[in-house]
Amino acid sequence: MRQEFNGHGASRGSALGRARVRLPHVLEVLEEHIPAKAVEAEVARLHAAIATVRNEMFALRERLHGALVHEVGEFLDLHSLLLDDPELLSGLDELIRTGRYSADYALRLQRDRIASVFQAMDDAYFRSRVDDIDQVIGRVHAALHRHDNGISGVAGEILVTDNVAPAELVQLQAQGVMAIVTTSGSILSHSAILARSLHLPYVVGAAQAMQKINDGDVLAVDGATGRVVLEPDANDLRGHRGRVRELARERKQLHRLRREPTRTIDGVDVKLFANAESRDDVAEAHALGAAGVGLYRTEFLFLQRNELPDEDEQFRVYRDVVLGMTGRTVTIRTLDLGADKADRTGLALRDEPNPALGLRGVRLSLARSGLLESQLRALVRASGYGPLRILLPMISSREEVRAVRSMLKRVTVQLREEGHEVAEQVPLGAMIEVPAAAIALPTFIGSVDFLSIGTNDLVQYLLAADRNNEALTNLYTPLHPAVIRLVRDVIRLGEKRGKPVAVCGEMAGDPHFAPMLLALGLTEFSLHPATLLELRRTIRHCNLAQLKASAPALLRARDRMAIEEWIHGNAPAHRS
Amino acid sequence: MIEHELTVTNRLGLHARATAKLVQALSGFRSSATLTAKGREVNAKSIMGVMLLAAGQGTQVKLRVEGEDEANAAQAVISLFERRFDEDS
Repeated sequence: MRQEFNGHGASRGSALGRARVRLPHVLEVLEEHIPAKAVEAEVARLHAAIATVRNEMFALRERLHGALVHEVGEFLDLHSLLLDDPELLSGLDELIRTGRYSADYALRLQRDRIASVFQAMDDAYFRSRVDDIDQVIGRVHAALHRHDNGISGVAGEILVTDNVAPAELVQLQAQGVMAIVTTSGSILSHSAILARSLHLPYVVGAAQAMQKINDGDVLAVDGATGRVVLEPDANDLRGHRGRVRELARERKQLHRLRREPTRTIDGVDVKLFANAESRDDVAEAHALGAAGVGLYRTEFLFLQRNELPDEDEQFRVYRDVVLGMTGRTVTIRTLDLGADKADRTGLALRDEPNPALGLRGVRLSLARSGLLESQLRALVRASGYGPLRILLPMISSREEVRAVRSMLKRVTVQLREEGHEVAEQVPLGAMIEVPAAAIALPTFIGSVDFLSIGTNDLVQYLLAADRNNEALTNLYTPLHPAVIRLVRDVIRLGEKRGKPVAVCGEMAGDPHFAPMLLALGLTEFSLHPATLLELRRTIRHCNLAQLKASAPALLRARDRMAIEEWIHGNAPAHRS
Repeated sequence: MIEHELTVTNRLGLHARATAKLVQALSGFRSSATLTAKGREVNAKSIMGVMLLAAGQGTQVKLRVEGEDEANAAQAVISLFERRFDEDS
């Protein structure tokens, strides 16, 4: 029988599908024992699952930008700390070893043991912290499960649950969930904000949903109005179809652009590269017709476990990225870690009072030359499989480029002697993200083959404004005359010296900034695949000659407001 | 070995955020550290352990640090308590 629940629309989009009801925070696992000889494998399986979750959290942390960073980031940090918690982990290992329990059941026992202590507390706030433990343990449990049978969980279903943590949301979307309905939560929660940025239909506060909806029931969800209909009738279905058609029309227009060139109205081709950090990103970039990978992050490889990956392991990953792009250029960035993250890899570094200004990026690689050498060897070996370029993060001086260049030469000779098939030449590029590198570019541009402007850090360092500091949201902006001028200078010098220049920070991925970057002379963008088609659409409505003609006005702008006015005045007329 | 009596003065007590700060502050040191309150002794480098103390505002805790860098580690914890974990109130 038809029933309607009214929640709050937290993220627009319509979905019609079967419900998957997830009961709150209960690990329904039966006691299960394993043979003695399987114990160590079970401990390893558990640790692999923990590493997977750690990796997912790191991925989410890296993907969060802007205002969200501070709060959601803190929350994720807490969960990451719990994952690394000595008490939690040693307890689990011991349960598996001495009790010969399955990893699943050990998690359940550990969870119950902790929960009972929390639940006995007088203070309501502390009592509720068991939620954090549950969420972390629940994620590890889910990772164990995925690892087991590779099922994609809630693909094609509508999840009905009490609440969803921000970290879970990204995972659920990757698994292919159609929509999410929660009984609690607010449209201002981090999860809601995140759902909107992921374009995932999301209804919060549908209080009765859990009692009335069962697994397999058909639901129609409208993420704009917050209406959830159980067993929808003909009328509901008509309304749903109308909304879906509208969204599809919008999406189709974008989708059609997959095979279209990224060309301005006046016929100038622009290259859109993808930023990537996983095999999925690479596949998506390929499918969307990206010109190549403009920035492949290698940090994952180092952060997913508590030890460093060896050359062979790295080689296989880099080779697969190259193969995945079938002949399009792949740009791989060397390790970009700092003391704030390096400890987790087993690279014990001293605590730094100011990690953003510390031993990070290429500085760390040069300080640990063994690390750099194995990474360069793996990269050069992968170059035998297709066009590969190496990008160095955090370059601030000519010496750094030259030191890497000479090591690159040495390992290339070595690898040839060892009989490896490697590229004739592997292009070496520098990220321009430290103001000194941008200003002193003429001193080392001769030593590099290409440049990539990392606007996130460049803006942070140029304006001395921490991008994670909420009090500085107004100061941390790429719309500052200093940023515009410096970006222009780098692009212009690259043009003059015949070195390709790309922008790979967030600025490149925002279609609103595209006309401005084109006016400054940029012809290569590197961005997250999710916004690639949108950017292509915008560029296809830009007139480059006109934009360049109005560049002087942009460079004359004296403040943020004037720059915003320029952007507003030069936005392409049609966006569809 | 260093022992030091401390009082939790920040409003929310040793809640999640403050605990995370404490654990992060200690993670760079090799010394072992424990906190004792209400008859329970926990590993101060474990976020779960510290949360299990349920130490609200006004709770007395005893810090014990032992190891090669114990003086600096203890100082890091003491100053965090003195700064009320950088909370506004």
